Amino acid sequence: MVRKNRGYITLFLLPTVALFIIVYAVSLVILFGTSFTEWSAGRSPVFTGLANYIKLFTDDADFRQSALNTGIWVVLQSTVHVAIGTLFAVILSMKEFYWKFARTVYMFPNIISGAAVGMLFLCMLNPEFGAVNSIVRLFGNADYSQNWFMDYATAFLSVTMTWLPYAAVVTILILAEIAAIPESLFESARIDGASNFKINLYIIIPMLRNIIGTCVILSGTSMLQKMDIILMTTGGGPGNQTMNLPIYIYKTALMDNNFGYSNSVGVFLIGFGLIFVLLCRNLFRIGSSQN
Amino acid sequence: MLKKSLGVLKYGFVILIVLLSLGPFLWVLLASFKTNAEILSNSLGWPSSFRFSNYTKAFQIAPISRFYINSVIVGIFGTLLNLLLLGMAAYVLARFQFRGKKLLMGAFSLSLLIPGAAMLQPLYLTVNALGLYDKLIGLIIVYTGFGLPVSLYILSSYFLTIPKEMEESAYLDGASFIQTFFRIILPISKPGFGTAGVMQFLLCWNEFQFAIILTTGNQSRTLPLALYYFKSQFASDYGVMFAATMVVIIPSIVVYILLQEQVVSGLAAGAVKG
Repeated sequence: MVRKNRGYITLFLLPTVALFIIVYAVSLVILFGTSFTEWSAGRSPVFTGLANYIKLFTDDADFRQSALNTGIWVVLQSTVHVAIGTLFAVILSMKEFYWKFARTVYMFPNIISGAAVGMLFLCMLNPEFGAVNSIVRLFGNADYSQNWFMDYATAFLSVTMTWLPYAAVVTILILAEIAAIPESLFESARIDGASNFKINLYIIIPMLRNIIGTCVILSGTSMLQKMDIILMTTGGGPGNQTMNLPIYIYKTALMDNNFGYSNSVGVFLIGFGLIFVLLCRNLFRIGSSQN
Repeated sequence: MLKKSLGVLKYGFVILIVLLSLGPFLWVLLASFKTNAEILSNSLGWPSSFRFSNYTKAFQIAPISRFYINSVIVGIFGTLLNLLLLGMAAYVLARFQFRGKKLLMGAFSLSLLIPGAAMLQPLYLTVNALGLYDKLIGLIIVYTGFGLPVSLYILSSYFLTIPKEMEESAYLDGASFIQTFFRIILPISKPGFGTAGVMQFLLCWNEFQFAIILTTGNQSRTLPLALYYFKSQFASDYGVMFAATMVVIIPSIVVYILLQEQVVSGLAAGAVKG
């Protein structure tokens, strides 16, 4: 059967292999190759060895800030964000009357365009007509009516708040895992006199190790992509307060026209992601058998 | 006592989450029916009447309808192409043993580990070299590729649930490989294709960072860019800005609400098995 089908197997795989080569493989080769060159549009790349990387690590405050911000956001996303999502899943798994409604609504910010989320928050936090400042004024304390996204003190936190609470994907994945825990386990715990709180703490949470690990990886790595909301709200500013690595790559490549240098930042970003994924896999012993 | 305060904490948390998720959306929706004066004077209140003039005005700003059509085209073709190609690949990978299979699977799962942002400049170069810069087809191909890991994962885990006997009896009846795939496998895999399709459509509809570097001018830009580019143009006309934001958001929400059981169960099935 295999021999007879060999032609079809190739035929069915070929388009996807071509797609992979065009989108991923060629990009990776260009990325690594040109990260050791000085290169701008319309010129040929000139090999400069490690010059880009040396500059990156020793003499580039914007890069340092971007990497630091990215790091902080990855950590927040893989801890606070996952914790919110997990907690919400545990609550929804009790299937009280509102659970389907709450699950649906929670998903909204996760499925709409990041540019639109940025726009929503830009409006919500607008100093003139935004809902947040209007509510602040209701309580008579006009001093807090400020431009949250443009203020040095609040910009970073404001941008962080536009995604930190929205962990609906985490919630859905964990809800599914909870649903897969055999009912008999809960029953015997209840017979032994365990309260709901104790069941959550000692039975459900430990059984979720694998899936929580997966969520930590998914959530953390999603922060290596974040660009639309930041461009929409602060553009990386004020100064470089809310710059992250994707915005920095975008700026160096397409605004400063500095391709080689931008690609060395790209290599750094991939390395950063790989180390993060490997760390998480070890930490959560993902792949090793459960219990 | 402890039980009671835990209960209060629980409901407080649920209400906070629901308000955070729904609040900004509802507030902008309400504001999209207000006049400029109402927005400034009555930021938290109800609009005096539900007028649609902001929406008609948003569409009169010519490029928005162009952007809209572009988004629909990219969304539909980016999804169909992705489902067709990845469906074929996932089927073969889920069903057959052949040399190089491990290598191929390894390469494909590599794509999950590469942040798109790292590929901004290289992909710009590739698309340019293929003569697809500032063309919808360029975006369609790139998005079809970006959906590779997710679609492959969802579809191949779905194919693994189909009993092999289905195909064996088709073969005995004289169906060819291609007939078996298109006539037997495709129809019974509708739920799998549904989940992968919604994820892929939302990816195409919402994507921003590659749309911004692979297009220029207004000819082939998509909706999320409309918001970015007209942020400053709308600056004096808040009502229209709100209406434009809603125009981008509503299709995503409608697609999700219509197909949410499908999406949730598809994601969940993958997670539990994985």
